[in-house]
Formats: sequence, C-alpha cells, structure tokens
Amino acid sequence: MSSSFDKFQKRKLISSYFSVVLSIALVLFLLGLLGLLVINANKVANHFREQVTVTIYLKDTAKDIEIKQLEKSLAIADYVKSTNYVSKEQAAEILKAENGEDFMQFLGFNPLQNSIDINLKADFVTSEKLEEISKDALSKNFVAEVSYDNDLVNLMNDNVRKISFWVLLLSGIFTLIAVLLINSSIRLSVYSKRFTIKTMQMVGATKRFIRWPFILNSIKLGIIGAIIALIGMGFVLYYIDKTFPELTLLTNQVYLIALFAGVFLLGILITWFSTFLATQRFLNLKTDQLY
Amino acid sequence: MATAILKLQDASIFQGDNLIISNVNLEVNRGEFVYLIGKTGSGKSSFMKTLYGDLPLKKGVGKIVEFDLDTLKEKEIPYLRRKLGVVFQDFQLLSDRKVYDNLAFVLKATGWKEKAKIDERINECLEKVGMASKSYKFPHELSGGEQQRIAIARALLNHPELIIADEPTGNLDPQTSVEVMEVLQQLNKNGNTILMATHDYALLLKYPSKTLKCDESRIFEVVQRKS
Repeated sequence: MSSSFDKFQKRKLISSYFSVVLSIALVLFLLGLLGLLVINANKVANHFREQVTVTIYLKDTAKDIEIKQLEKSLAIADYVKSTNYVSKEQAAEILKAENGEDFMQFLGFNPLQNSIDINLKADFVTSEKLEEISKDALSKNFVAEVSYDNDLVNLMNDNVRKISFWVLLLSGIFTLIAVLLINSSIRLSVYSKRFTIKTMQMVGATKRFIRWPFILNSIKLGIIGAIIALIGMGFVLYYIDKTFPELTLLTNQVYLIALFAGVFLLGILITWFSTFLATQRFLNLKTDQLY
Repeated sequence: MATAILKLQDASIFQGDNLIISNVNLEVNRGEFVYLIGKTGSGKSSFMKTLYGDLPLKKGVGKIVEFDLDTLKEKEIPYLRRKLGVVFQDFQLLSDRKVYDNLAFVLKATGWKEKAKIDERINECLEKVGMASKSYKFPHELSGGEQQRIAIARALLNHPELIIADEPTGNLDPQTSVEVMEVLQQLNKNGNTILMATHDYALLLKYPSKTLKCDESRIFEVVQRKS
C-alpha cells in the first residue's frame, strides 16, 4: 500500500514539475532565439560596417619607403582590419574595367594617384573616428587626400542604432515575460506547500533551512528546463545553418558559447530568485494569514 | 536559577488589532502540569500562539524559557521554538514524508548532523509515545491518536523545557484522548513541564492538576473541587 502511494505521490510530483520545467524551457528557448537574432544582427551590421573603405591618396612625390612605412603602421593599428596598396596603374585598370573605355588613350597620361585602401574594424566605423584617421593621415606631407563616404557611414550607424534599440527593447520585454511566467509557476508550486512551510517553522526550523531545499529543487528544474531550451536552440541552429549556410551562423563560436551559457545561467538565476521570493512570502506570513 | 519557566506580567494578548485577553499575570514552574481551559473563542489559542511567537506580545512583559516575549525578534523565533515543544490540535505533521522523516526534519533543522545519533533520538522519542514500530508510515496511514502521538514525539525531540499543547485531544475520541493524555502524564512524571489547552472537562476530572481558566478577556487560576 505504501509503495503504491509512493508511486502516486511521485507521479503527482512529476506532473506538477512538468509544467514548471516546460514553461521554463519554452521561455528560455524563445529568449535564446532572440539572443541568436541579436548576435547575428550585430554580425550583419558589422559585416556592412567593415565594407566601408577609406582611401588615402598619395602624392606622386611620395617615396616608396614612406608608403611602405605608412602601410605598415596602418596595418598594425588596432582599428584597421585590412590594408591594400593600389598603385595608379592598378587603379587605372580597375577604372577601365568599370567604365569599359580606356581614358588614358585620350588623356595621354594617368591622372590617378597611388592610394592605400583601408577597411576598418566594425567598432571603429564612426564619423568621429574616421575624421581622426583622415586627419592623422593628412598630417603626413606625402598624403594628398583622404576620402570616404561619410553620409553612408552616418546612415548606417543610425540604422544599426535604431534596429539594435528595438531588438534590445524586445529582449528586455521578453526577459521580463520570462521572469514573470517562471515566477508564477514556481509561486504556484510553493503555494501548494504553504502549510508544510508553516509547520516547519512551528518546529523551530530557521527560514534559511526551510528555504534551501525549495531553492535547490527549483534550480534543478531550472537546469532541466534550460537544457531542454538549449537542445531546442541547437536544433534550430543546425537547421538554419543547413538551409542558409551563407549566414555562417556557427562561425562566431565565442558569442554562441556565451549565449548558451547565458541562457543556462538565466534558467538558474530566475528560478533561484523566484523561489526565494515565493518562499519568503509564505515564511513571513503568520499562520492566520495562510487561509 | 529561577524555577519559573513561563512568567507573564500585565500581558495583553492581541489578535491583529483586537484585544483578546488583558492583564495576564501567571507563572508556570518547572515540572508543573498546567491546564488552560475556556470556551472556544475565549482566546486560548491566541494565548498559546503568543507563547510560541506566532503572535507578538505587544503589551506587558513576558518571559518564556529565557526568551523575552515582549522584545522577541523575528530571528529569535526559531530558536525559541526549539526550546518549546508544540503540539497542535490538527497534528501538523508533514504529510509529504514518512514519520521517520518528519522527526528527522526537526533534528536536521536544529543542527543535528550524525545519522546514528538522529536515528537513536528518533527511536527514543517514538518509544516514549509507544509508536516505535510506525516510523516507516506516512501520517495519513495512521489514526488520529497515532498521529497525535507522533506529534508529541516530535515535540520531545529537542528536550523541550516546556511542552505547549493546544487542544491535543480536540480531534480525538474519548478513548483515544485518554491514551494521548496518558502519554502526556507520563512525560510530566518524567519531569517535563506541560501547558495544555483543552475544553475536555472529563480529562480534567480524571487527571486533576493546576488549572487556569480563560474567560471574559481574563485568565485566572481556578481551584478544582476534589470529587
């Protein structure tokens, strides 16, 4: 008889845990997907930012060694992603290919200048930084001109800022919903034990002693929920990557690992915090207020 | 060392903002068995709750097992309760675990670590109430009287200086009441101090002892006529 009751108790427990775990898993899963979106939105934005080219035109009088030196110093600067020296002959070739006519034939000489194209790292593509770089370059007497598309940079940064604001806002709302949902399901499961909690207090258990098994249990559920969410995210990642390999979803492993760890930690922290609040609520009630 | 285990002076018992009992002056000495009688609603339970810290003592002075009730801090309540053994009318066992685990919880909550010692103490206490063979049962598998005896065993675990029993026989039939009462009497003979609220006058007659009456917002001692 006792063993069948045991089984019944266990089943009852499992089914009530099931809903808690499921709500944790679903919410964390959605949050994780949003996180993937944020990471990749950033990557796309960075991709575009790094397309911005700053061209430093050099005077014809510039010596080879000066050019080499400038290129080298740019190449090791922390804001530069890549540099590319384009001689005026190369530039003429490119222009010829673009326009389809050989302008040197009717000009009789090559009006283009030697130049260094630099692509900046995404973080440094702001109009302030670009201005600084161009000033720096212009201070050298063999540099004729620095050119870049300032309007494009501003427009791009503006849009990225707008989009990331909305995405962040959305993530914030989602996190809030996550906390509320998980909180309410945990509150329910603690509520069902409120008389147990009261009895424990009556026999002289401290609040902390009563609280920690509840918290431990909830963290366990949180971990299970988080693992389910992570498995779900893994599947989604796998299939998106398979369908759209050009997105290179999996290349940014540091971010991905951080996101997975973050979701996992969030699962623990939210359940911890919710359980703490829920048990605290009942621990502070007097017996008469329980009914 | 004072022999008074419980001492109240000009104490008033409040339930929320309502005054239930005023001007309580009483003393319970070590080794006594004291009844608290009175109609339901006369404030017996509120009085008991004040003693174990479930209601604050807002007015007057109270001292119980070396704790000052009038200055009792929230944090001290668990430690006060460890020195008391509280028995309730509705038993208040933890329904989600077996008898053994019910008792083990109390010991673990009060800092017992060694399993062998815990086992030994649980057995001792169950023995005292004659329930040693039921430690593997769930509370709901036991009868009311058995559950109450478990609750008494639980109250005994930490060698309480005072056992507070709030109508321990209130939910039991007369026969079982007597059985539970025998257990309490036995404990008293072994030196435990017991304060028991009841409205079961039959028990009073059968086991006469010092009796306090709670009536019309006052608590006073009544002298039992020997019959």
